Amino acid sequence: MQSKSAQREGILQQLAEQGGATALAVAQVARQSGVPEADVWGAGTFYGLLRRDPKKTLVCNGLSCKLHGADALHHQLAGQGVATEFVACLGLCDVAPAAVGPELLPLPASDQPAHVLPSDPNLPIDLGGPRDRSYRGLGAALKLGPEAVLRELQASGLQGRGGAGFAAHIKWRSVRSQPSPTRYVVCNADEGEPGTFKDREVIRRQPDKLLEGLAIAAHVVESTQIYIYLRGEFERERRILQDAIDQALLGPLAGLEVHIVRGQGAYICGEETALLESLEGRRGMPRLKPPFPTERGFRNQPTLIHNVETLACVPDIVLRGGTRFASLGRREPGAKLYCISGHVARPGVYELPLGVTLDELVAHAGGYIGTPLAFSPGGASSGFLPMGERSRPLDFASLSQVGSMLGSAGAVVLNDSVDLPLAVHWQLSFFEHESCGQCAPCRLGSRWMRQALDRYLASGDPAELSDVRDVAWEMLEGSICGLGQVAALPLTSALQHFPHHFGHRPVTQELHHG
Amino acid sequence: MADTLTIHIDGQALTAQPGESVLQVAKRNHIAIPTLCHDERLDAAGCCRACLVEIDGQRRLQPSCNWPVSQDLRVSTRSPRIERHRATLLGLYVADHRLDQDGLPVHTTQGNELRTWAETTDFKRLLAIDSPRHPRGVDANPYVAYDPDLCILCARCTRYCDEIEAVSAIQLAWRGAETSIATAGGRGLLDTTCELCGGCVDVCPTGAMHAKQAPRFEKPGAVQKVRSTCNFCGVGCQLDLNVQDGKIIQVTAPPPGETVNDGNLCVKGRFAYGFVHHEDRLRQPQIRGADGELHDATWDEALHYAAKGLLGVRDRHGPNALGFVSSSRCTNEENYLVQKLARAVFQTNNVHQCAAT
Ligand SMILES: Cc1cc2nc3c(=O)[nH]c(=O)nc-3n(C[C@H](O)[C@H](O)[C@H](O)COP(=O)(O)O)c2cc1C
Ligand code: SF4
Ligand code: SF4
Ligand code: SF4
Ligand code: FES
Repeated sequence: MQSKSAQREGILQQLAEQGGATALAVAQVARQSGVPEADVWGAGTFYGLLRRDPKKTLVCNGLSCKLHGADALHHQLAGQGVATEFVACLGLCDVAPAAVGPELLPLPASDQPAHVLPSDPNLPIDLGGPRDRSYRGLGAALKLGPEAVLRELQASGLQGRGGAGFAAHIKWRSVRSQPSPTRYVVCNADEGEPGTFKDREVIRRQPDKLLEGLAIAAHVVESTQIYIYLRGEFERERRILQDAIDQALLGPLAGLEVHIVRGQGAYICGEETALLESLEGRRGMPRLKPPFPTERGFRNQPTLIHNVETLACVPDIVLRGGTRFASLGRREPGAKLYCISGHVARPGVYELPLGVTLDELVAHAGGYIGTPLAFSPGGASSGFLPMGERSRPLDFASLSQVGSMLGSAGAVVLNDSVDLPLAVHWQLSFFEHESCGQCAPCRLGSRWMRQALDRYLASGDPAELSDVRDVAWEMLEGSICGLGQVAALPLTSALQHFPHHFGHRPVTQELHHG
Repeated sequence: MADTLTIHIDGQALTAQPGESVLQVAKRNHIAIPTLCHDERLDAAGCCRACLVEIDGQRRLQPSCNWPVSQDLRVSTRSPRIERHRATLLGLYVADHRLDQDGLPVHTTQGNELRTWAETTDFKRLLAIDSPRHPRGVDANPYVAYDPDLCILCARCTRYCDEIEAVSAIQLAWRGAETSIATAGGRGLLDTTCELCGGCVDVCPTGAMHAKQAPRFEKPGAVQKVRSTCNFCGVGCQLDLNVQDGKIIQVTAPPPGETVNDGNLCVKGRFAYGFVHHEDRLRQPQIRGADGELHDATWDEALHYAAKGLLGVRDRHGPNALGFVSSSRCTNEENYLVQKLARAVFQTNNVHQCAAT
């Protein structure tokens, strides 16, 4: 049991500073913090960045990078005597195949600016525009007062951009109405959904809009403490953001506390309650809900958690009104940052009306490469859809109608050069690797699922897949959090939409387990 | 109590107290809900997923162990959906477990709740999951061992060690399918804060955490439990002697809620039973003779001999030449008698209790 005076919150960062979760570092951090040593060990060993060899270059084995030669890159680096290690999607899908050096900065080849739309001041975030440091939205919000801001937010229809699409104004009101005077505002910048790199781009190009959105949120929910949980691999972005914070604290953000807390390499910490556990220096295991973070979140206090993009939309909503923001979308409100990668000419982040189709999105991205076969509309968690759905609006409701989801809007296109079952294998391996391990349906189900597919790939016998439906059902019904609930979707959606790709097949010689 | 609630489980109206969980109400009313990670003494973890039920108004199945009762709450514990969930979940657990020749989770001397569940429920047969936990090194401690192959990661052991024992010597470590129960740095328990209370063994539902001294895979029914009182100290913890062929093979704590020690024991009560059958154990009083050797005696002889010696000292040197120290194994009543003996019989106030330092 931890003593009352123990300082748990900093332990992950302290381990990172001491080179990771080695026995020595764990003992020292336990001594300094007063946290039981086994707890420090248990927390530290959970995180990829604390377990890695700090001398190694990290090569991405996410779907988009696999499609663009991650294995060849790995080979090439090894040939040059570079020590490497495969890691889950690095959020650099637009420059695939991607790799980051030991310092967590992209290798030169993965270090080009992303494709975005040319500047258009009508766009709420306007990635291609000049960096907006005006904080005019914050000024307007302070003048309007909380209730008026809430009305605009409601009129905007803004849905959370982190994946679940929950109406933002409901969460703001809920936090605002809590009895506890201590509230927190947390920004989810742990962007890790394979195929997604929009939050990265917001931080690179318009970090002040994010900070402005956070300040408005803090004002409305009457909080002064802001925590930004930033993906650990986003080292470049951390520097940009810290710079922006340091400057803004001298002016528009004066009176607020703004902390950046680095993630340590665990996709599951993008799930909001796992994120809170991690902020508190624990293993990133999601909490049971209810209670929701709006009632009991960070340090057990009411907490407003939002995705980077959600927050970056807020200044525009306040400045130009909720109705105008809503009118930017088609069947659902607002403009949306779509990531597109895989077999398209100009992968990038495009700010488009919510509800564009894949064809429209890909037109902005310079067109398809080769003959498209399948696509994932919203990250690995959204499964695969056939090209027959290329004209379906990419919005929350339309995609859920076909058992998929908009999720993080990280679209990936696969052309017909891809061995679909192999692509499914990569996605299943991702979830298996990133499961927190807490609950059996996900911990065991995701592993069983990947092993069943591997048996099929090894034998070519479709009978290996006969129990997939049952296990997938149980993962959906029995798992604690969204990870386990969708972790079978890459396989079940592929089986549903591409049955002819899962017939008898020749034995697959090589499975890359990286 | 004034604010008693009514909830409905499977259509049955039941009384509940605020703060109770659905599982508690169900149990009290003999409505069977399987559980693996639940222990009344621990905060609900909700991680094993065995106890999921349908709650009116909730889209998802919810853990009954963690769902608070509220007025008019409607719960269903049987439905095709719940049956399918249990059958498939159990199938996954079984596919990840060490099985006997009947394809059931192995029975261990301390039982195996997974086996008990599998014996009574039709479950989905799945091909075995190859899922090694992160390995753990050698551990030289004499009492507690961990067998990752039988571990279902219910975290009862780690939560017990933290919440009840307040020691936190073990924790969940690593992630995903690799998740395991670990000590810091994988060290042996003797090199941790572990007090070797063995509580982690007692709460383990599968026998993954087990007692090193005990045989591991005795058949069901081969071991008989005899309730007894620990005689290492005056607290009076109840313990169950696990007896086979007239010999104690293990000591376990009676189930929580039944006895004063509420399912807990300390290292002595649980593990220090070797003396019971030891050949050197004294079975009758002995008196040292003129030859310098110990000779068997009767209790009467021994008591007379001791009384004579004590009285002799008193007569020769006065009562304050005597001192009485009672053992920490004595009960309150025995301590009372010792001071009475000292004060009333030998007329000295030189009396002490060895645990009263
Ligand atoms: C497995 C999993 C991973 C997630 N990853 C992220 C993430 O990387 N970034 C994010 O903003 N939300 C992520 N979410 C969603 C969050 O739980 C949460 O809904 C979101 O941060 C709320 O912000 P929003 O309302 O602005 O969308 C994830 C959810 C799950 C289940
Ligand atoms: S569903 Fe998976 S990631 Fe989520 S809590 Fe369960 S094991 Fe962890
Ligand atoms: S024996 Fe007791 S103190 Fe040691 S690990 Fe087990 S529960 Fe913790
Ligand atoms: S060792 Fe036993 S009590 Fe501990 S997690 Fe494993 S199965 Fe549960
Ligand atoms: S007993 Fe409720 S989830 Fe384990």
